[in-house]
Amino acid sequence: MAKRIKKPIKLSKVISKTIFYMLIVTLAIAIILPAFFLVSLSFLSTREAYQYPLPLLPSMSTEYSLTHGNRGYLISVYDKFEEEYQTVLDTNELEKITVYMKNQLGTPYTIAEIEEQIAILESGAEDPVYFNARKNIFLNYISFFQISRDAVPALLRSFQIAGLTILVSLTIGGMAGYAFARYIFPGRDALKFSVLFVRMFPGVAIALPMVIILANMGFYDKPVGLVLVYSVGSIALTIWITASIFMGIPESLEEAAQVFGATKFQTFLRVTFPLALPGLAAAAMYAFLGAWNETVSAIILTQFNPTFPVVVYQALLGAVGNVNLAAAGGLVMAVPSLIFTFIIRRYIQQMWGGVTI
Amino acid sequence: MATLRMQNVTKQFGRSVIAVKDFNLEVKEKEFLVLLGPSGCGKTTAMRMVAGLEEVTTGNIFIGDREVTELPPRKRNVSMIFQNYAVWPHMSVYDNIAFALKLKNIPKDEIDRIVKESASLAKIDMLLDRLPSQLSGGQQQRVAVSRAMAVDPDIFLMDEPLSNLDAKLRVSMRTELKAIHDKAGATTVFVTHDQSEAMSMADRIVIMKDGEVIQVGSPDDVYHRSRSIFVADFIGTPPTNFMDVKIKKESDGTHLVNPHLNLLLQPDMAEHFKNYNKDHLILGIRPENIIMVDQGEAALSAKCLVAEPQGSHQVVAIELDNNIIKSIAPANPTIIPGTDVHLNFKQETLRFFDPDTTLAIND
Repeated sequence: MAKRIKKPIKLSKVISKTIFYMLIVTLAIAIILPAFFLVSLSFLSTREAYQYPLPLLPSMSTEYSLTHGNRGYLISVYDKFEEEYQTVLDTNELEKITVYMKNQLGTPYTIAEIEEQIAILESGAEDPVYFNARKNIFLNYISFFQISRDAVPALLRSFQIAGLTILVSLTIGGMAGYAFARYIFPGRDALKFSVLFVRMFPGVAIALPMVIILANMGFYDKPVGLVLVYSVGSIALTIWITASIFMGIPESLEEAAQVFGATKFQTFLRVTFPLALPGLAAAAMYAFLGAWNETVSAIILTQFNPTFPVVVYQALLGAVGNVNLAAAGGLVMAVPSLIFTFIIRRYIQQMWGGVTI
Repeated sequence: MATLRMQNVTKQFGRSVIAVKDFNLEVKEKEFLVLLGPSGCGKTTAMRMVAGLEEVTTGNIFIGDREVTELPPRKRNVSMIFQNYAVWPHMSVYDNIAFALKLKNIPKDEIDRIVKESASLAKIDMLLDRLPSQLSGGQQQRVAVSRAMAVDPDIFLMDEPLSNLDAKLRVSMRTELKAIHDKAGATTVFVTHDQSEAMSMADRIVIMKDGEVIQVGSPDDVYHRSRSIFVADFIGTPPTNFMDVKIKKESDGTHLVNPHLNLLLQPDMAEHFKNYNKDHLILGIRPENIIMVDQGEAALSAKCLVAEPQGSHQVVAIELDNNIIKSIAPANPTIIPGTDVHLNFKQETLRFFDPDTTLAIND
């Protein structure tokens, strides 16, 4: 074995490495922390969600104490921060107790179970009676879909809109991208740049004209209307992504296909399309994310047929508005885009990693 | 296999750029024809018009008896090897070769047979499962070759297929391509800017310049009987030497003279000037036709500028008024730069060019 020679460590290298890792860790925290916060929030009970300080992790169960109160039974909840039982209810209506336990603390408890605990209290064996109720961790998600009646149709509508947006922007944007990549015509660069203009206007700024135009077309409050609005933006992006991809495919590959017996359409199908797949996948991903996450235009352009982000937004409003419910809705919304991104990512990596043009 | 005929073919790009001008050519069956010229001379454009990748502005192209001028590439039954090989990167070697056959709806086992046959001809039968990105440049070249052979075309088109290979591989691929051509007996049009490639492979060479054909002939023809200064200069390494000379008729015969040179022409060479009425011309002489002689027999004496040993021979350069003359001398004796060398010419190999038209006087 070769002798290990100790190299003198340079101070400047140590410093630069330290700074590098500090930056990396900071960045990681900046990205992970909000996501962690959202996930944690979506599992908190309402009482926990409005506590100060906010618990970092959701509790799995709640400690109750039950004793006689002025008006009936006195229910107290153990607070982990104060390390004491805090009185929350003084009532003799058992239903009110179960509703409170479920809605505020996420611990579903039947009236019969309450009566069991009361029986122990009345028998005089214990006073107060302490008992533990297990939390239904997914209660926020269930409540979200129960309270927001639109949630399921809105979810389907959002899928429909995102899918159609991908289709429209990839068809039109892909063809335009090909034209920009392959043909030289007067005003090409100006035109290619100008397609980006549509992305420069904030949606709110042109909301009113959009409402009027869509209403005139009969597309107000319809998924098609939103598809049109979203496609305009993502077509521009698709053109830029696909044009650069098509430019990277040597023309001679297409010419070879034509010489060897392919029609123009077969050439596209068998040579150009498979080679452009990573670019098309990337463009599809952007189109999907754009359409899936968009909220502002959707709020303005829908009324009775909202998209899913609008429903999540509404969960924050009004009498039933709760941050933990909105967090649950937000996570439901994040799942499809995560899945889609992972599927697409495989294509992008597979093609760009395995094939060199 | 078939013949190829191009009649008055012209290609114009835009309003002013004429890439190919009034191009006439007939390629015989099984012939290996090389289009040779400097870059931008229109040789590739001419070939692309045969393939159908470039539209013809005016003129007609025939393959065999069929007119193909207006046909799309797929209906011409030609195959092509591209400069960058144009092997499809997302298909295996097998699929690359089978591509054209699948489009023709040939039965599977027949495709399999043809693919294996043409792959073994190009010596890539071990690589059929690989993707092009796993192959070296030379192997990709072989894929392109076997893909082109698999379709059994009327005409083989090769667009500078060797220019992306390294120097050593280029020379060996040259030999192999020629061998494959001879075996397959395909009518081939080969485009190159490398004159040594053209000389070593061609049955006939077409030399082009600025979109026009300058000379058509066998490698021997274009080398020894160059029709213009351009051809004489373009073909051969080192190229032909040129000297401005005056024609002087004296009692003992016709002399070609300039300040460094006094050459008494043999009577049969002087015959060439019978119909030439200018008093000066440009003399062209190939380096290997300049011979070292004793001082008394010299037509030309000068100091050696550089001697480049090449092993089998040496290239001796002399300078006459900024005009460098190179000659090929035997390897022995070694000539030391700065010493006097005495030269004479093999008269029967001299070429005389008109300085105004740049065309050869003796043909």
